[in-house]
Amino acid sequence: MAREIYAYKCRLCGTMHYPFRMLCKGCKQNDFFEFDTVPLPKTGKLLTFTTVYNLPAQYEVATLGLGIVELENGMRMLGQLEIEEPEIGMAVKGSVEVVRKETYDDYYGMVFTAA
Amino acid sequence: MRDVYVAGIGITTFTRLEYPLVEIASYASMMALKDAGVTEVDQIYVANMGAPRVNHQTALASAVADSLSLLPAGAAAIENGPASGAAAIKAGFQAVASGMDDVVLVTGVERMREVNNLEATDFVATLTHPLTEYIYGVTLPAHAAMFARLYMEKYGVTERHLAMVGVKNQNAALNNVWAHLQQGITLEGILDSPEAMTNNPYVAEPLRFFDACPVSDGGAAIILVSKEKAQELGRPMIRLSGLGQATDTHAVFEREEPTDLLAVRKAAKDAYEMSGLSPEEIDVAELHDAFTILEIAESEEVGFFPKGEGHIALEKGETALGGKIPINVGGGLKGRGHPVGATGVAQAWEIVTQLRGDGEKRQVEGAKTGLTLNFGGFGNNVVCLTFVRED
Repeated sequence: MAREIYAYKCRLCGTMHYPFRMLCKGCKQNDFFEFDTVPLPKTGKLLTFTTVYNLPAQYEVATLGLGIVELENGMRMLGQLEIEEPEIGMAVKGSVEVVRKETYDDYYGMVFTAA
Repeated sequence: MRDVYVAGIGITTFTRLEYPLVEIASYASMMALKDAGVTEVDQIYVANMGAPRVNHQTALASAVADSLSLLPAGAAAIENGPASGAAAIKAGFQAVASGMDDVVLVTGVERMREVNNLEATDFVATLTHPLTEYIYGVTLPAHAAMFARLYMEKYGVTERHLAMVGVKNQNAALNNVWAHLQQGITLEGILDSPEAMTNNPYVAEPLRFFDACPVSDGGAAIILVSKEKAQELGRPMIRLSGLGQATDTHAVFEREEPTDLLAVRKAAKDAYEMSGLSPEEIDVAELHDAFTILEIAESEEVGFFPKGEGHIALEKGETALGGKIPINVGGGLKGRGHPVGATGVAQAWEIVTQLRGDGEKRQVEGAKTGLTLNFGGFGNNVVCLTFVRED
């Protein structure tokens, strides 16, 4: 089964959230359990990006590509990039992979490649 | 609401300091107490971001109160990321303005060099959104880099403009004995020469080494007092005349227009409104240039220049000493250094120094009004202060 990253849709007013909010930013009415999860789309276009050379502890790689992607439903997310020469506006597609390893935990997030 | 005045200021050298955290805070505080001529205070606010994590110390304000023999004054630490300093000043302002307290000590302190560079970078990165930013390995330089790339694309800012901010501020620090970086730099050396890529490598493209502030230890302190107390102490009458604070989305990617810094805009607007000043009336400013791109963007958002024209004003020298609105004449975060909790207080320290006419080689002639902008998170928590000299 393909892994997903979820957006949160308010059951009262339909506002979509990513990241999750305890209180809806649209209607400011609901409680935290009144959201439906909706998988985020995995395709979109690259809005901006960087290659980081000075990484935090835990990263045993020389450089890390990061970018903000505008997904096809108009929502945005940050993800890691595995793209040789990124360009603003290029089409990208994502898959959910391990993006950070700590001693006892693996963290999953979106990794984008050129579409 | 009562008027609030700055009666005393103090600072330590910003650099790598081999002293305990409390001593760094206390040293700056002692200078401020001495400068104001007070030995007792009603209240102490200590601004600090990393003591529990980086220095393995909690309840910092209690330790500072005792170290300075200021017992039984009230004391509390304020952690508000890189905007801790100005947030603590806000707390001090409210204490005096409300009439609850007459004399308040506000100290900002950070000792980040106790850990190595990788741990310091990770510590600062913990302010990012845990589930949608931090897990990806985002750092503050990475945020600034993605922001810079958008700014370049949209407004025609170039790597040369960024380098110009770095050269301006790092060289300005040569006129400030307390500043961390005491080494002059040139565009030739960091951008144009064949050695530039070695001298000035990328840390997060398109930002290079000299686009980022150093990791520093240091402390800064100010004494806030009521009008009656200020008159009694007889120091120059510098009034903290305006204060604004605003927040923005935690996850940077959520912002509708990613090149806007709405919290900066709102904080500045509120500070101007409260003080009755307009951007044109500010004589000297301290902006939060943790990264060179931020000085350009903030100079627009606080209203000095129209959006997208900050880099043009920079080119014309309008933000340098002697220009229309001198920015970061004491080096800014880039040259003075950025001990995160201390920075907001150090900015106020610089403005008060300027309004007192004590800036020596970096003095802005006849400065009567000043502004500080303390930028927390990546623009998600911003405090703007204005100061006015009254004679």
